[in-house]
Amino acid sequence: MQNQAILRLPAEILYAGEIQALKAAEKDPVPAGWQMSPRSVLAFITGGKAGGTEITPKYVGNRRLVEMAIATLVTDRALLLIGEPGTAKSWLSENLAAAIHGDSGKTIQGTAGTTEEQIRYTWNYAMLLAQGPSEAALVKSPIFRAMECGGIVRFEEISRCASEVQDALISILSEKRIAIPELATEVAATKGFSLIATANTRDRGVNEMSAALKRRFNIIVLPTPADLQTEMAIVQKRVQELATNLQLQAALPSDEAFLKVVTIFQELRNGMTLDSKEKIKPPSGVISTAEAISLLTNSMALAGSFGNGKITEADLAAGLQGAIVKDEDKDQAVWLEYLENVMKKRGAEWRSLYKACREMNS
Amino acid sequence: MNSVAKGPHIFGIRHLSPGGAYHLRAFLDQVRPTIVLIEGPSDAVAEIQYLTGPEVKPPVAILAYTTELPVRTLLYPFAIYSPEYQALVWAREHQVEARFIDLPTAVFLSLESVTGHEDAAAPEGGMGRIYRKWAELAGESDHETYWERYFEHNLNPNAYQTAAWEFGRSLRELDNQSPAETAENLIRESFMRRQIQNALAAGHDSDKIVVVTGAYHASALATAGEAMTDEEIAGLPRLGSKLTLMPYSYYKLSTQSGYGAGNHGPAYFEILWQYMREGRMDLFPVHYLTELVSYLRENGTYRSPAEVIEAVRLANSLAALHDGSAPTLKDLRDAATVCLGHGDLGVIADAAARTEVGTAIGQLPEGVSQTPVQDDFNRELHRLKLERYKTTVAADLDLDLRENRRVKSEEAAFLDLQRSCFLHRLELLGIPFAHSRQVNQQAATWAEAWVLQWTPEAEIGLVESTLRGETIELAASFLLKERLDAARGVKDAALLIREAGECGLMASMEQARSVLQGLAVDSGDFLEIAAAARELATVIGYGDIRRYDASYFIPLMQQLFLKGALLLMDAANCNTEAALAVITGINHLNLVALEHFETVDEELWLAKLTELSRRDDRNPTLSGLACAILLERNRIGNEQLAGEVQRRLSPGIDADLGAGWFEGLALRNRYALLSRNILWEQLAAYVSSLDELQFRRALVYLRRAFGGFSPAEKRSIAEALGNVWGMSGVDTSDLLNRPLSEEEKQKVESLKDFDFEDI
Repeated sequence: MQNQAILRLPAEILYAGEIQALKAAEKDPVPAGWQMSPRSVLAFITGGKAGGTEITPKYVGNRRLVEMAIATLVTDRALLLIGEPGTAKSWLSENLAAAIHGDSGKTIQGTAGTTEEQIRYTWNYAMLLAQGPSEAALVKSPIFRAMECGGIVRFEEISRCASEVQDALISILSEKRIAIPELATEVAATKGFSLIATANTRDRGVNEMSAALKRRFNIIVLPTPADLQTEMAIVQKRVQELATNLQLQAALPSDEAFLKVVTIFQELRNGMTLDSKEKIKPPSGVISTAEAISLLTNSMALAGSFGNGKITEADLAAGLQGAIVKDEDKDQAVWLEYLENVMKKRGAEWRSLYKACREMNS
Repeated sequence: MNSVAKGPHIFGIRHLSPGGAYHLRAFLDQVRPTIVLIEGPSDAVAEIQYLTGPEVKPPVAILAYTTELPVRTLLYPFAIYSPEYQALVWAREHQVEARFIDLPTAVFLSLESVTGHEDAAAPEGGMGRIYRKWAELAGESDHETYWERYFEHNLNPNAYQTAAWEFGRSLRELDNQSPAETAENLIRESFMRRQIQNALAAGHDSDKIVVVTGAYHASALATAGEAMTDEEIAGLPRLGSKLTLMPYSYYKLSTQSGYGAGNHGPAYFEILWQYMREGRMDLFPVHYLTELVSYLRENGTYRSPAEVIEAVRLANSLAALHDGSAPTLKDLRDAATVCLGHGDLGVIADAAARTEVGTAIGQLPEGVSQTPVQDDFNRELHRLKLERYKTTVAADLDLDLRENRRVKSEEAAFLDLQRSCFLHRLELLGIPFAHSRQVNQQAATWAEAWVLQWTPEAEIGLVESTLRGETIELAASFLLKERLDAARGVKDAALLIREAGECGLMASMEQARSVLQGLAVDSGDFLEIAAAARELATVIGYGDIRRYDASYFIPLMQQLFLKGALLLMDAANCNTEAALAVITGINHLNLVALEHFETVDEELWLAKLTELSRRDDRNPTLSGLACAILLERNRIGNEQLAGEVQRRLSPGIDADLGAGWFEGLALRNRYALLSRNILWEQLAAYVSSLDELQFRRALVYLRRAFGGFSPAEKRSIAEALGNVWGMSGVDTSDLLNRPLSEEEKQKVESLKDFDFEDI
């Protein structure tokens, strides 16, 4: 009811039914502090069946990577998910936390302004001044709280925090306790505590992580979708969801439009044509799956608001131009080279898109 | 067969499986057979004693090859952990007879020519889909991991035998092999049954016979079935063949896809085998990761012991996720990627390959090996009528690659061309039998001169080539492929195209072409591109004489030429030292432009040269060179030249710049310069316009510019200048030949700060 108005629900509420079903059907031993066994977590993320309930796949892609992520958390090591924008890092971390701990809300959203207090603890200064340091005056960070209850804490965009702030994690992760010298005490992590961090490697404005901190993480690199079919599936699914959610007044793009956009993205990203016969120069920026999704929804919005409700080649071309040619002249040359060397030779179906793109890029 | 109930004991295995070897040895210890029958070529009896000899160090292989063309080969590789090999070792240790019971190689080779596939015991190709399905059902990502987890790691007594039995039986039920494969299997099984009967007939108790065979055949051999009769055996088709043992390598084992199991990580399986025998299965993950990390450290990537510990823990926890008793290779490698590679497989890939594949090469005592490459070599010598050169005395051989029109057969008409291909292949393989000799007439693309000499080193080189392929041709293309994979620049790739062309290996040429295309996209190095374009031009030029379709390479050459031309202006922005290399590059491209003017964009090239010749902000030597090339092509008229000289040699400009330009100008055809009076008029005007100090400076550079000229040329220059200054040719030479006067000597002395040698 009141959930209706919320733009986006956390995973543990969105998929509460599935989590219940998995817990009910549990057969394997459950690690201390977890709410279900590692195998059930895997089923929750990659899909399957629990009792009579169908579990929807949350992460489309490499199942093995999910296994590695779960295995890492079983060994009480902290997990670091690295990847280009739009590779579902946060999505995976949220769902892992929801499945293992039932609460994905203990989150630090890293920015350049994140301070060390937000990682450890801070004080309710009014109380601190009135009564001096006391348990009651302590304002606990999400990490602090996760340690106390043996849960999973998420650290989003860790590489955007200043290096000094990142390094506050070093001793927390190796000793698994936070000292509170003001109260002459410390909090020790209970079983089940772990941390999932996500970091973006290729964006600008990120800080290099120190080697000491990296050593304390098991690092898993989430790849961009490897093949056309996977990426098509992801893009199609998300565009459909978004279109319904945002009530876009346009018809869904045709399969052909999906195929073309995803093909172009894959080829430019991989630096070669799909049949791997010809090499292509990739553009300087990242062209992620997320951008393919927003490109297509954008085209729908354009067509719906200003066009006749059907996506034209010109709408696509405008989107492609924006996604591929970011801010450098070089990209323009790369895109032109691609148009001339690859797209132009693709034959009649591509002809109109080629012309539209060519016009846009001149 | 009525003795199935208590024997003979059939032990199904997968080839190259340490778990199989472990369980087989335990089984043999338990049964204590009087004879061990092993799936292997039954004519390789003589090789058995060599195989297990004390001097032998696996990996080794039995190699069967046809004595006639085309050479077909069969390979039975053995690693120390091969169940078959351990069965042989066990038999030797216990003084028990061991025998191979599969079809003789002569029959196999003949059957293979019908079915056309290598080893029916491991039908990876046709069964791929089923294997994948099984792995998926078990929740594993691939068949190898599935097999390792469920077969190799299970050390419970009899577990392997039962599991392999079931595995083979299910495979047979799902049988989707081609009729030819099925027929081949039936023939083999019927032959093996007969061999088992032979052993029974020889008086061995059926309970004391152990048969070691591929899992696929195990259930079939245990049930009653037709055994082959003598007539049927005699009626089997045969090809003339030979057998030999050869040293094998783990690298080669790992590249032989489609053969049996465990080949993707031979060294890893050896580690597994060692710890299995010691009963310390818990230790092999530690061994693997420690070895990997020590390679990493050797190569400068430091990782702490704490990270290794975490990797071991992660690997174990990955195994636990699959109910495994120990991590599989995939678990270990993934754990290493996460903990030691920090998520990047690239960091550990090299170390992982060294740990998994290893560099082990087998050893055989001397004289045991007679390899097919040696045979192929002799056959080629015979075919190409080169046998008389197989002596220890060096002999010259001159080849004329053109078609010999006086002979009738095609073979004879291109005999020399084929000889050339053959000798080039040997040279490529590093077999020191033939050395090419410089040909005097450089333009003769059809002539080659060789020196041929037979040495023991050549023989050794031949044997070593066996590891690359069974014939000279195969070995050469394998080597080219390897070099191609390692090629980093367009120049290397282009050179490989030429070498492949010289060796007459068309498939390799095509491979190299696509590699070059790929590299060319990214390359921005003028020198590399120029050199590559030049190589390709040569390749295309040789196309007719070497009889391959050169037109195939023309688009690529155009592409390279275009890129080179566009890069010229950037490359010309360099210092004098770097200019030397660029000069070579320019000459390369110019040669391409001259030789292939009808295919490449010559106008663009000349336009770029014109631009370079006019620019003042590029290396002056290169500008001069550009000018000289244009002069040769008549693209610059006398007036333009005069203007250029005047500008370059004006007194305001540093003398070294002007002289550098002149040096470049003099790099090409000097007679073209000598005949242009206008040039010397300008030079004369320049020299006269300099004051004393400027003149001394200019002298050094001018001397350098003319240093490369011959005395006769210098004389002509002096005469030309003399003419300008109003002296006749005779007067000038008279003046030059006169000894120096005292006054002149003193002047020269005063310049001794400068280094004069032979002006």
